[in-house]
Amino acid sequence: MAAIFASRCSRVGRSLFGGLSNSSPGLFTTLHEMTCKNMFSQQQRTFIQMRTVLKVVDNSGAKKVMCIQALKGKKGARLGDTIIASVKEAHPNGKVKKGKVVYGVVVRAAMQKGRCDGSEVKFDDNAVVLVDKQGQPIGTRVFGPVPHELRQKKHVKILTLAGHIA
Amino acid sequence: MRLEKCWFCSSTIYPGHGIQFVRNDAKIFRFCRSKCHKNFKMKRNPRKDSTFEFERKRNRPERYDRNLAENVLKAIPKIDKIRVSREERHHKNNLVKARYVLQQDPSLTLPKIKVKVSQQQSEENHAMEE
Repeated sequence: MAAIFASRCSRVGRSLFGGLSNSSPGLFTTLHEMTCKNMFSQQQRTFIQMRTVLKVVDNSGAKKVMCIQALKGKKGARLGDTIIASVKEAHPNGKVKKGKVVYGVVVRAAMQKGRCDGSEVKFDDNAVVLVDKQGQPIGTRVFGPVPHELRQKKHVKILTLAGHIA
Repeated sequence: MRLEKCWFCSSTIYPGHGIQFVRNDAKIFRFCRSKCHKNFKMKRNPRKDSTFEFERKRNRPERYDRNLAENVLKAIPKIDKIRVSREERHHKNNLVKARYVLQQDPSLTLPKIKVKVSQQQSEENHAMEE
């Protein structure tokens, strides 16, 4: 994606600054950097949907999972929702192996979510804790901050395992 | 409900306002408005930021000047005296106006109601007090 965008930018740059003198390369690079920087820093965060890759923040053995089904809502999953995912990367001797289809609870999402007091909360990345069909976590530890909204979703076990509650 | 402070501009965040960003090291950044949030995302330094110059100009403490302080201390009792005299004048004017209005339209006065209290009731009240 980034490579395609960069190549497009460069083509536009050549067409725009083709007839200029030797001062053009510097001008072009600054313009290109600015455009790319704005594009990627102000990226629109959206729902967790099919093919979204999430980080696994427990010690179940998986590292990365890809969402294959959001179990709530038309558009996709958000903070606190349950998803079905496929394990893409895993530790060699973990409980969960690569290619296994698992359930997971979204404990961190980059898309902001409204709170009951009217404010909004958002996180750095998209992260998930793997659970079984009954909603009990597979791992025994949860890393990083998790939101207190999980209490409303009846995931109290995840909250007790978590180090920080935001 | 708690009143938080904005991480970027240190203004008060009232309930229902702003956005909260939680970093992966569990540090919470609260922003009062999208202006502060965007400046944070652009990695701007809040101390150097010129867009908040206007906010910074207000409530700037004056540098101590002995003559100025002396004049202010002398002026305080004078100002108090003026304030009191103005209030008195205001009340007096209002009373004059009220009297004039009542003279023009006596129906505005409240009717005097006489309440008759029977002997028994007064005795009962006295007994209850004892």
